Amino acid sequence: MRDPISHLLFRCLSPGFLLLAASVSHANPALLEKHCRECHNEEKNKGDFELRFLGDKPTQDNIDYWFSALDLVEAEEMPPEDESKLSAPERKKLIAYIEKAIADFDVSSVTKAAPLPRRLNNREFERSIADVLGIEDVGTHQPTDRLIGDSRYHGFDTHSETLGFSRFHLEQYVDAIRKIVDATILTGPQPETKRYEIDPENMVREVLNQNSGRIGGRGKDGHFDFLDPRLGAWLDGFEEAPATGRYRIRIFCTGKDRLTYDSEHTGVYSGDPIQLSVHLGDRIRTFNLPDDERFEITLDDWIAEGTRLILRNPTDGLRQRGNGNFKFQYAIAADHYKKYRPEDYVEFVESRRNNPNLPRSKSHRPDRWHNWVGRWEGPRPRVYRVEIEGPIHDSWPTQRQVALLGDNPSVKNAETILKPIAARAWRRPVKNGELDGILALVRDRAESTGDEVEALKEGLVGIFSSPAFLLINTGDMPESHRFVSKLSYFLEGTTSPGAWKKQIREGGFPDFASVKAVVEESLSNGRAVGLTRGFPYSWLELADINFMAPDPDQYRFYHRKRVSEDMVNEVLAFFRHAVDTNMPIPEFLSADYSFINQDLARIYGVADSVPLDSKLRRFTFTDGRRGGLLGMAAFLTSTADSLGTSPIHRAVYVMENFLGIHPTPPPPDVPIAEPDVRKAKTIKEILEAHTSDKTCASCHETIDPWGYAFENYDPTGAWRDEYVVPVAIERTGDEDSDGAVEVVYQKETLPVDASATFRSGASYDDITGLREHILNDINRDRFVRCFIVKLLTYANGVEPKGTDFIEVDRILDTSKLHEYRIVETIAAVIDSPLFRER
Amino acid sequence: MNVKRRTFFKGVGGTLAIPLLESTGAAASTSPRTRFLVVGNPFGMHPDFFFPSQFGKFGETAELSPTLQSLDWVKDRITVLSHTDHNMVSGHGREISFLSGVLPADASAFPEKNMSIDQIAARQFGSGTRFPSVNAGLEDGIRMSWTANGVEAAPITDPQKLFDFLFLNLTEKEKQTRRDLLNRNGSLLDAVGNQFSSIKRNATSADHERIDQFQTSVRELEKVFSDRGNWIDKDKPEFDISGHFSESEVTITNKYNALFDMVAYAFETDLTRVATIAFPSLLNYTDVKGVTRSYHGCTHNGKMENVTAELVAIESFQIAQMSRFLKRLDETPEPDSDGSMLDHTVVLFGSGMGYGGTHSNRNLPVLVAGGGFRHLGHFDAADQSGNQMPLCNLFLTLLQRFGIEKDKFNTSTGTFSELSYA
Repeated sequence: MRDPISHLLFRCLSPGFLLLAASVSHANPALLEKHCRECHNEEKNKGDFELRFLGDKPTQDNIDYWFSALDLVEAEEMPPEDESKLSAPERKKLIAYIEKAIADFDVSSVTKAAPLPRRLNNREFERSIADVLGIEDVGTHQPTDRLIGDSRYHGFDTHSETLGFSRFHLEQYVDAIRKIVDATILTGPQPETKRYEIDPENMVREVLNQNSGRIGGRGKDGHFDFLDPRLGAWLDGFEEAPATGRYRIRIFCTGKDRLTYDSEHTGVYSGDPIQLSVHLGDRIRTFNLPDDERFEITLDDWIAEGTRLILRNPTDGLRQRGNGNFKFQYAIAADHYKKYRPEDYVEFVESRRNNPNLPRSKSHRPDRWHNWVGRWEGPRPRVYRVEIEGPIHDSWPTQRQVALLGDNPSVKNAETILKPIAARAWRRPVKNGELDGILALVRDRAESTGDEVEALKEGLVGIFSSPAFLLINTGDMPESHRFVSKLSYFLEGTTSPGAWKKQIREGGFPDFASVKAVVEESLSNGRAVGLTRGFPYSWLELADINFMAPDPDQYRFYHRKRVSEDMVNEVLAFFRHAVDTNMPIPEFLSADYSFINQDLARIYGVADSVPLDSKLRRFTFTDGRRGGLLGMAAFLTSTADSLGTSPIHRAVYVMENFLGIHPTPPPPDVPIAEPDVRKAKTIKEILEAHTSDKTCASCHETIDPWGYAFENYDPTGAWRDEYVVPVAIERTGDEDSDGAVEVVYQKETLPVDASATFRSGASYDDITGLREHILNDINRDRFVRCFIVKLLTYANGVEPKGTDFIEVDRILDTSKLHEYRIVETIAAVIDSPLFRER
Repeated sequence: MNVKRRTFFKGVGGTLAIPLLESTGAAASTSPRTRFLVVGNPFGMHPDFFFPSQFGKFGETAELSPTLQSLDWVKDRITVLSHTDHNMVSGHGREISFLSGVLPADASAFPEKNMSIDQIAARQFGSGTRFPSVNAGLEDGIRMSWTANGVEAAPITDPQKLFDFLFLNLTEKEKQTRRDLLNRNGSLLDAVGNQFSSIKRNATSADHERIDQFQTSVRELEKVFSDRGNWIDKDKPEFDISGHFSESEVTITNKYNALFDMVAYAFETDLTRVATIAFPSLLNYTDVKGVTRSYHGCTHNGKMENVTAELVAIESFQIAQMSRFLKRLDETPEPDSDGSMLDHTVVLFGSGMGYGGTHSNRNLPVLVAGGGFRHLGHFDAADQSGNQMPLCNLFLTLLQRFGIEKDKFNTSTGTFSELSYA
């Protein structure tokens, strides 16, 4: 379980800081004294806040409290409505006082923060090496598979402190770099080009069962059909690429039986084409196939030695029956015969019934899936033949080698050859003498092997194993290069493209206009994956979506259609839409539309209004319950447990990711009754019992209202008016499901109460009310500020803190000037000293 | 096992003197040493015979279940977990996620893909020993050890081959290849090390922490490489398993004794610190007393008592084999440290399938032994709402025990903090 209940503490607060603040004398104006002291004194420090923490005026160490105080008083959440006698004019005065105190703060007194270096994360490492070497990706031999996985910090995979470095990292890096370089620069004699023709009889199905010695079935009758999407086929005769190089692969294929069965039964939508995917290591290429028409797929790919070529049916369907294993789908064939070919059905069934030549399991139950294996006419790709030619080298040494090492790769010229590569890898000019160690390495290697290309390869490995490559944003870089390198990782997740070199020479990106231009260019040429993918993954914690997946027995659809992938794609599509249309940032919350397909439409209850296919399209919701981030299942499901939901998880997500408020976990000594779903109680009743405890109440009164509105959404994000309290009962299934255990849920229902009242006195009845509330002026600014903070966190590898918020508010002002438009806001972030100087 | 092979086993070995430690030097003995053995099967355990009927410490509030009887001697140093799993629906094909909680098809969503914990431990310890890990089975393996997305760490399934792998010395050519790579890596680190002077000269104070981390890792890795260089020329420890094959009939009991003994000896001599041993599905268990049917057949026993008894015999055999191994470890003092080797070796027994008879993948049979933990006897891992504990919580605790700094592992929602160690 996640901590179901969290304590609230605004922005940042460390124990050391408390001590410091405690020693400051306090002389607060009358309003603070009169309206705040009663709850925030040394004995009664509600919300872990005491008035004396504010001191006389903002300082570098206490300014967080001033910002929080301003935020809460402005939002009318403090003083709380039920305890407050603060009149409206008084509130205005108090706000003005705090604002002035913050404005009077002398920013020049703040110690300037230095740029914070960090290790490349794994995706940046892969992309950067490929870009420096000028290759499509790191290779099909999965050279980076043993890299140590990156942990995320609240979703962020660019967090400096979290991206640690150890000898285990270094060893795996060196190993991966060698493998990448070895598959890029080929030495020795030119390998012979061979042709392979693979007939269906030599296409062999993978096996996933425990009998690993077993060989799967082969194609026959002139074709190989891909039935079970879990099982690809490998090619007997071309088990793996014998040598590295370019291969031309032709696959003759077609789509079969796309519409024979009802898509409700197969889970393959009638609007989706049949596809075939070609797996070359983890490089996957997917093709749409026409129905019953011979089609030729041609690939021209650089493939590393040892790569296995696997063909697969990539559908997300064909898991609807039984426990989801493919074999149970065969029963669909029986249903189909029964309905559409009743005479054939009777004939077939009679031929089986009581047939002494058949095993009892088949002869006694003609409807069982076993009997229909040979009669499957489900949607599937069919392959007739595969032709492979390779490795093809138009020249030897290869073009890749010549592009990197030139026509004359000799140790004598090592410095000339390696220097520009090092400059690209290190994202800055190479200083005099800096390559000496690496050049010595090259000379040694040449001496011991007598092979000058091998020796230069060793030099490349050295360049990439260097801290200058593996660490970014180090303080030793020339300012313009550091900024451009930081910008390129922020926008594109890789080292800066060559085109920016000229701009660096000409003074870089000195102002808002030039920054905005480069953001727009990067977005329009499709390179901005750091911003359009890396950032939303981090900000919205998308990688977490299946860490507590909905219960697989109760929420079958979610698992069987891989709906979590659609949910993540919905978020990415919305984000893409935002940058493409230069959307005002508050529209992330206010939009009445989103981008959905049939799978999502089923979760959202609008299946009838959406075509039967998997393509994401813009869809406008009319009921006020969906549209924008607040209605997205990615958020609703990743904040839910497997069987139940927690308004607190969702409230914390909303506060942290949309409002920029950080509740911290409760002190470890607080006893928390976990929600017991077996007792017929709603989460609200349970939480109310918990918050009747005074120590818990002061925080929960602030947190919980941000979450209750989402109680109308179940763990998959589907709408519900009542809780179905499931009581699980395991039951062994009948013969048809092969004796698999089925979990049956006995249901009890309780009505959902999705209303809540904020401390300010504002209240709502359900999500439509919360949506209104979250769009008021103060919350809208909180949201945009939060967005800015998240961008800065992503860019800097650390969250802004303390006095940084003075500058954050300046970025907010710029954003406001531009109607909060996202491109201008991003440009303002990049143009700010918080980005440039960190 | 044919005669020729047995002769060969006999011929090798000889004296079983005090084992020489494989690894030398400080880097290799990142003290205190910890090791990891996973013993797995593909079909789970019959729950009525595996899970004790009461919770609590054995001999106090709980008693050992029928399947676990052979562990009586070590019952205060084992923990049996109830109500933990990977939240998978029923059916074959999902048990392959046993050691990661992630199916190959879902692997791309996780930072370490579906890499299994033994391989993660191997990556951590690997650079300190001759073999990062050893995966063994008999005649076949089970699919539990994955190095990366879709890449299985194939087990060695023949005692002879395992013997060759562990104890046969390298040829001159193999030695040369390895020496060459180590030398190259050594020089590479020299070159990289030289880069620091220039970077550090201009570094801001914020850089220092990162650069120091980097520099430390270069130094540590240099040490590891130089230690590895020492092993190349050093002969492997000698080992004699002929005793297991001296009887007229070689049974799977002898063979498993041999497998476990080789792994125990590899642990003792620090050839490796991570191993897996599998009880595969297709192995013929009729050597085991009372067993006449196939293993898979016995799991589909239709609740017939005689067939169920055969299944329980197979499952008890698996536990008894592991128990014998635990005993051997417990009788060996830990080199360079206190306690027995068992106190420094985490042994995990279990399966990615709950019970083959129902194809259930919920409530997996999981047992942890040794490793210096304060063991819990039979523990109910479900929370108050009746949710099963993600098995990855236990895995996270085990990984932390191995000194791997992680606060999350795949589907973990926290650690299994009830299992603490001294």
